[in-house]
Amino acid sequence: MLDETVAVIENRPLTGGHFLLSLRSPHQAPLVRPGQFAMLRLPGHSDVLLRRPMSIYDVKLAHPQGSGKGKGNLPEIIQLLYKIVGRGTQLMAELRPGDQTEMLAPLGHGFFEEKYLEAARQADEVLHVAGGIGIAALLMPAKSLARAGIRQRLFFGARGVQELVGTEDFVPFVGETILSTEDGSCGTPGYITRPLEAHLENHRHQRFLLLACGPWAMLEATAEMACRHGCPCLVSMENRMGCGLGVCLGCSIRVRGEGHGSYERVCTEGPVFWAKHVMWERK
Amino acid sequence: MKNQSSIGLARNQSREPETEAAFSPGLEIDLAGIHFQNPVLTASGTFGYGQEFARLIDLNKLGGIVVKGISAEPMPGNPAPRIYETEAGMLNAIGLQNVGARKFLEEKLPFLRTLKARCLVNVFGYSTENYVRCVEILNEGEGIDAYELNISCPNTRCGGMVYGSDPKLTEEVVAASKRVSRCPLFVKLSPNVTDITVFARAAEAAGADGLTLVNTFVGMAIDVETHTPRISNVTGGLSGPAIKPVAVRMVYQVCRAVKIPVIGIGGIASAEDALEFVIAGARAVQVGTANFYAPETSIRVVEGLRAYCQHHRTHFSSLVGSLRLPEDQPPASIEY
Repeated sequence: MLDETVAVIENRPLTGGHFLLSLRSPHQAPLVRPGQFAMLRLPGHSDVLLRRPMSIYDVKLAHPQGSGKGKGNLPEIIQLLYKIVGRGTQLMAELRPGDQTEMLAPLGHGFFEEKYLEAARQADEVLHVAGGIGIAALLMPAKSLARAGIRQRLFFGARGVQELVGTEDFVPFVGETILSTEDGSCGTPGYITRPLEAHLENHRHQRFLLLACGPWAMLEATAEMACRHGCPCLVSMENRMGCGLGVCLGCSIRVRGEGHGSYERVCTEGPVFWAKHVMWERK
Repeated sequence: MKNQSSIGLARNQSREPETEAAFSPGLEIDLAGIHFQNPVLTASGTFGYGQEFARLIDLNKLGGIVVKGISAEPMPGNPAPRIYETEAGMLNAIGLQNVGARKFLEEKLPFLRTLKARCLVNVFGYSTENYVRCVEILNEGEGIDAYELNISCPNTRCGGMVYGSDPKLTEEVVAASKRVSRCPLFVKLSPNVTDITVFARAAEAAGADGLTLVNTFVGMAIDVETHTPRISNVTGGLSGPAIKPVAVRMVYQVCRAVKIPVIGIGGIASAEDALEFVIAGARAVQVGTANFYAPETSIRVVEGLRAYCQHHRTHFSSLVGSLRLPEDQPPASIEY
């Protein structure tokens, strides 16, 4: 984890108020593991005092391979996929190429720490379950699983077709993508948990590992479904964060068993947890 | 955060840089018999147990570290959501989640002992006996330089607020803790009272070696779409730059009311902020919320204070309480 001043390379607007922010960060990018996050600071705005936690969407080489430039094969760019939801993300959307910002990254435990690897190896297929901007946490895991030759499928639901951003980025890594929208503008109408349930029902003989990121209600429903079907399920949680360093204790969530009382910090013990470890009490 | 280079300008522009470098700013201080290499500490609850920041800043450059509030037994804390950002500040209701005194001694203190920064342990309890119990456990540890008695957490029934809002109880818990304490005792006061000087005097009379002020202000934020409070505890403690002017005023008042040293805290994010507290009378300062969003703040405050003293050829000690009041303003009169 490093605290760096980084420069904006591009802040590309996508549909539905989403943006893809590319930051030049040659020291941090090589350290990023799938599922980790960054805390971004927008200096000079006293009304946006705290840093904003953001899933790391992807890391990229500064120059495409074969162009003869760049330092070997180490990534130098960190990409954050985000949606405007408040003042902080509104200010992020105003960042222009050449602007500087402060970033603490990479933070937290990712999806494929040693403790989770075994589950991925044992699965016949990994099912990614994304709700809305939760998609941002899943691209790096999909890439790394593809490299390991593990079969994958993406279930991605959002409010409308405008919010289904980034699906094309998953195409090279997942076998099939199942989409759903609440307004019925694309894919199955309704929540993504419906086609997910159908898939689990229809393939009872297969061993799945579920990786999920999205709104609390979707994660809760996915966790319940995974439990019912006996599938291991990892969830990437989000919460308001003060520091990202594990000291403010502002992001703690209720979990089962021991460890820091019955709370664990999303920033430090997470953001990835076993779904059965989380107490899915109503927010 | 404010630009540090704006500090200490103008008046001494013509001075030779060599002379400035040679001038000793006298940042080293003694408070309640403890020697600090500089007057900048990190505030309880904003700096964990120190180790969390070891990869980001040089902890050996700090004057002191006040660790997260410790109770005799571990505390789980409050349900989420626990924090909410407000204009130039934040509300928190963490609920004093901590590992407990025994685990602190075993797991956290050994690292803190290796640092040049002084180690102050923030202590709280739910009864006078419980405060005493916590101090007694902590007394077994080697390397604690002082205690900071927290009688001002607004977020739990057992967080000491009851002790911080009744002068008699303040006196009782300070006297009882002081009796058993092996090291100097600072008392962290609540600003959520009508007249903070009453509590400052009560703590002094009960034997406190110093005061820390202020803790957070009780505040509230509401989601107007759902008509629900923004944090689960309904109310929370407000901290950050938003509270600084009120904190400076309280430090000013208290420094005129007591003889024991005062550590100023409340929204400090730059050396200039720290200087306001010092000129108002604080002998040292603590950096709190700024640690969350800019972990290097306390180091910048140290460097900024040094630069200010060198520019003005002033020893730090002569800045303490150096406020110049308008001539027609009698120093003791404060209307609010």
